[in-house]
Amino acid sequence: MTRRNPRTTAKSQALQLPTHQPKPQLTPPTSLKMNLSSIRPAFRPVTSRIAQLSNNALQRSFAPTTRRTIRPTPATTTTTRSPFSTTARLLKRNRSAKNATDPRITAIRYHLTHPLTPRPLHFSRTRALRHWTIHRAWLLFLRKRRRAEELELERQYNSMRAACEHLRLLDNNGNRVSEAEAGGQGPDAGRLGVRGREVGRLYRAAMLKRGVWGSVPVEYARVQTDFPGREGWNHAWTRS
Amino acid sequence: MALRELPLRTASAFCSHVRPVAQLVRPSFRRNSSSEALYGIEPWSPFSVPPPSEELSKTFDPVARSKLRRRGKRELPPSRYQYRPPKYYRGRLHPHQPPPVSDPSSRLFQPGPFSLPRLEQTYQSTIAPDVLTLTYQHYPPGYRAPKLDQRLREWTGESPYFRNRPLRPPRGRGDHLRLLTPPRTFRNVPKITKVTIHSMVPEAQENSAHLHVAGMIVQAISNIRATTHKARHNVVGWGLREGKYVSVTANMEREDAHHFLAKLVDVVLPRIKEWKGVPASSGDGAGNMTFGLTPDQVALFPEVEVNYDAYPPKMIPGCHITIQTDATNNKDARLLLQAIGLPFFGKLND
Repeated sequence: MTRRNPRTTAKSQALQLPTHQPKPQLTPPTSLKMNLSSIRPAFRPVTSRIAQLSNNALQRSFAPTTRRTIRPTPATTTTTRSPFSTTARLLKRNRSAKNATDPRITAIRYHLTHPLTPRPLHFSRTRALRHWTIHRAWLLFLRKRRRAEELELERQYNSMRAACEHLRLLDNNGNRVSEAEAGGQGPDAGRLGVRGREVGRLYRAAMLKRGVWGSVPVEYARVQTDFPGREGWNHAWTRS
Repeated sequence: MALRELPLRTASAFCSHVRPVAQLVRPSFRRNSSSEALYGIEPWSPFSVPPPSEELSKTFDPVARSKLRRRGKRELPPSRYQYRPPKYYRGRLHPHQPPPVSDPSSRLFQPGPFSLPRLEQTYQSTIAPDVLTLTYQHYPPGYRAPKLDQRLREWTGESPYFRNRPLRPPRGRGDHLRLLTPPRTFRNVPKITKVTIHSMVPEAQENSAHLHVAGMIVQAISNIRATTHKARHNVVGWGLREGKYVSVTANMEREDAHHFLAKLVDVVLPRIKEWKGVPASSGDGAGNMTFGLTPDQVALFPEVEVNYDAYPPKMIPGCHITIQTDATNNKDARLLLQAIGLPFFGKLND
């Protein structure tokens, strides 16, 4: 509506507007008519609501450049603000205030019912084939990554298992004992063998799971970052 | 300078010409163990394809074929044609089957992960191996777990009504059996499967604006379109009337769930004043943990905070957050959530 001529700079407007009516070729004349209170006849009331609205909008859009207060003449205020009877307007105002919906709720409702869903993709044959190829490659990449993670976890599991088995068959002197002498057969890890407690002491201690189920330290639970802080935890922090 | 370099250049040029000849000559003198093996191999192979027949090669005219295709009898549909999968699944035996979900043309297709959340990376690189190590139970090689027989009891007695009757329900309260926990392996390390936000606003029965604001906030927090739910029963104590819309939920999976949890743990929960943690009494015994946030705690989410003015402050809802995991008991689920950064307080529910 109010399109400004790009050639007019802010400086020229600030110079021109407060003094006189700017040249008609700078801005559209229809919108200008509203803005110029200086040439408006003093006794003419603002009749239409649209004119008032566009006047406000224009002022807002021009706000940074034309910062001046339009003081309405006393004649104008009397005509607009005090009609002959106040009761009807007051009643109406009160009713509207009671029933009025918060504009924020109106905005929320508007945006909930107007989802900006784009139209579905529509490709020609070659372009769809290209798209499909890239998609297959992406799926392949994801699968490879998942497989690598799984294999890494499996490798750790296997080495942990081998270590536990080694500890189970370990003597106090660090010698390996036979299966018959060792304990820990079956589901009970604490079961003792022929040579009693001196075989697989570390294994039994590991399988006790002491302190596992209590709580994980808070310092552990930090999400990995590219650039972690120099000191990881502020131990000096107190509640102020 | 140029004059001084000239003999060098001529020499190098000459050498470069000579070199290929030398290389050609060399292989005749070299003898590899594999080079002789080639002579022993039979030239015929079952995979070799016979050349096309004389008749076929004479009649083959690709230009004419493409012209024919272009004129009338088309082998391919026009390029604008786009395959559309069937709208309804009509069973396994129907000739028109829908494509797999991973196919972009499928109606259920969801475009793949657009980011790799930090929480997911941390889980893969640190948390999963640590949880595996902590909860590993060793069984010596060759150990076979005894086979578990039927966990439900049968009806024993002389009554003729006991014959062919379904098994007795489990002991105690509750109508379902608790989940069994298999021994821990690298395949069943507990992980987060889903996060659900549930926000109930009974005020929405009088004024639907509450529901709309709640839906908008849940949607903003979770990046998922919120779903509304009706009250199923009349509950006088809670002021619920049957059939009225009262609540809003959002289910997050994979990428969204990880982003949400990271946001919750790193941004929202540390800023709550006097927050004790998740009550340790939560947990349904199947790996799901729930805790609640009050309206002023929900307002701490960065999405709500940046345009706090867009919502009427009295209408910002509280919510319940359910974190669903793969774990089959409360202990494992709690260990995982603690490793992610959710502290627990109070009496443990095991």
